[in-house]
Amino acid sequence: MRPFSEYLGDFANGLLVTIELTASSFLVAALIAVVLVAFRVSPIRPLRLFGTAYVHLFQNIPLLVWLVFLVFGLPEIGVKFDLFTTGVLGTGLYSASYYAETLRSGVNSVPLGQVEAARALGMSVAGSFGSIILPQALRSVVQPLGNVTIGLLMNTALTGAGAGLVDLTEVANRVNLEVTQPVVIFVGVGVMYGLLALGISTTSGALARKLVIHR
Amino acid sequence: MRLVFSRNWLIAASCAILAVTTASACSNSGGAVPGGQGASQLIDKSPVATDEEIAASPTAAAIKRRGQLVIGSTKENPLLSQQNPITGLTEGFDADLGRMLAKYIIGQPNTTIINATPTTRETLLQNETVDTVLYTYSITPARAEKIGFAGPYFVSGPAIATLKTTNGITKPADLKGKKVLAAANTTGANVLKQVQPDAELITFPTSQECIQALEQGRAEAYVNDLTILASNAVLNTKLKVIGTPFGKDPYGIGIKHGDTAFKKFVNDWLKKIQASGLWQQAYQETLGTKIEGPAPAPPEIGSVPGS
Repeated sequence: MRPFSEYLGDFANGLLVTIELTASSFLVAALIAVVLVAFRVSPIRPLRLFGTAYVHLFQNIPLLVWLVFLVFGLPEIGVKFDLFTTGVLGTGLYSASYYAETLRSGVNSVPLGQVEAARALGMSVAGSFGSIILPQALRSVVQPLGNVTIGLLMNTALTGAGAGLVDLTEVANRVNLEVTQPVVIFVGVGVMYGLLALGISTTSGALARKLVIHR
Repeated sequence: MRLVFSRNWLIAASCAILAVTTASACSNSGGAVPGGQGASQLIDKSPVATDEEIAASPTAAAIKRRGQLVIGSTKENPLLSQQNPITGLTEGFDADLGRMLAKYIIGQPNTTIINATPTTRETLLQNETVDTVLYTYSITPARAEKIGFAGPYFVSGPAIATLKTTNGITKPADLKGKKVLAAANTTGANVLKQVQPDAELITFPTSQECIQALEQGRAEAYVNDLTILASNAVLNTKLKVIGTPFGKDPYGIGIKHGDTAFKKFVNDWLKKIQASGLWQQAYQETLGTKIEGPAPAPPEIGSVPGS
């Protein structure tokens, strides 16, 4: 058996993969979520329907199912991404539905008078959404968005099982198979996830204090 | 015309059922089912113990009086011990050895298979429910404290499978810098790290997912236990199993602890079928139909700690 210290490199790599996964999935999810929310509040019915359907579809099917579908299903119809991209896509597409719902509650908190004022000033739908509604909506849901991001971080742990990625959890599984010290390993990895989550909640907390709109 | 059509349809349907239930290829050429036709010849040629040999082991004498060898095994292990739903015969390497051992003792290949699981094997032997266990039973010193092992009768271990279209991968050294699949939490994954640290290991939870990923070109090779790979190759004809394993997992024939006379009896029989080439023939007709290369040299009896 190798001494425990020899595995630190593996854990560092796993940690890096988890951070990269979280950051990339966050970007994908945030981008989709903004579009989805725009769809859901748009005056065009088909877009609203699409937004609703997306949210329901992704919230009601577990992430692991999506990952297995993306990894093994898509290549059957000739679409194949590398495993990291697949992991990001799965986690991003799935989390987008949660970000979208959070953002929508922010949109709902914007007083209707703001929308009417924008329209009275002659702003287009896109203009009033981008300059009036979204900025206010975002500022009122910073903390909840942080919580969803923590959820996203935790969800990346599934990519080891679903998409074959060697993330922090998968490294823990593999090292444990060799040294069979589950308590030490999984408590250690749990602490690492905890610290990452703490980083996210501290950031979102600070942002929320700075940006919150007192109504 | 109509009759011909419905007959064809019937044949197609029964082929489909056969393919689903046994996962063996359906062909008209016959003999496609491993151990089907060959097994009987194997039994015809296999030796019978002399009265003195039987008398030396009270257990063997008791089995002969009963006229039935009771084996703890499974009926769901392709190439090793799997029941053919058409003939009712249990086919495979373990099953063939069981029948040959029965013929050696009784003179007839009369066996009964009692379903065993990895957790019940020791108990079945200890409470004398079964005479022997023939069930990919790895010899370990810890198990040898509870039961006896004759053999080893087969050496398995982690081996490599690739697609049939892949060339140039025959040993762990060829996996350097390549993407290699393994099922999560299997020893194959661990052993690969020791024999070829420069391979990039990708793990999926199940064997099926690994094979799927291999087919879809996510990796060039797949590592798992030799007999599991051979079983997988029965289900997926695109798979090629490379002959020699690169680790050692010796299978033994489980017998009651402390029954040294019966252990010697079984070991003597193993030596006989090894020397006469029957062991090799049994291998060729079962595992050898899916594992590339010539039959391996049979393991030396008693060469493993615990046996």
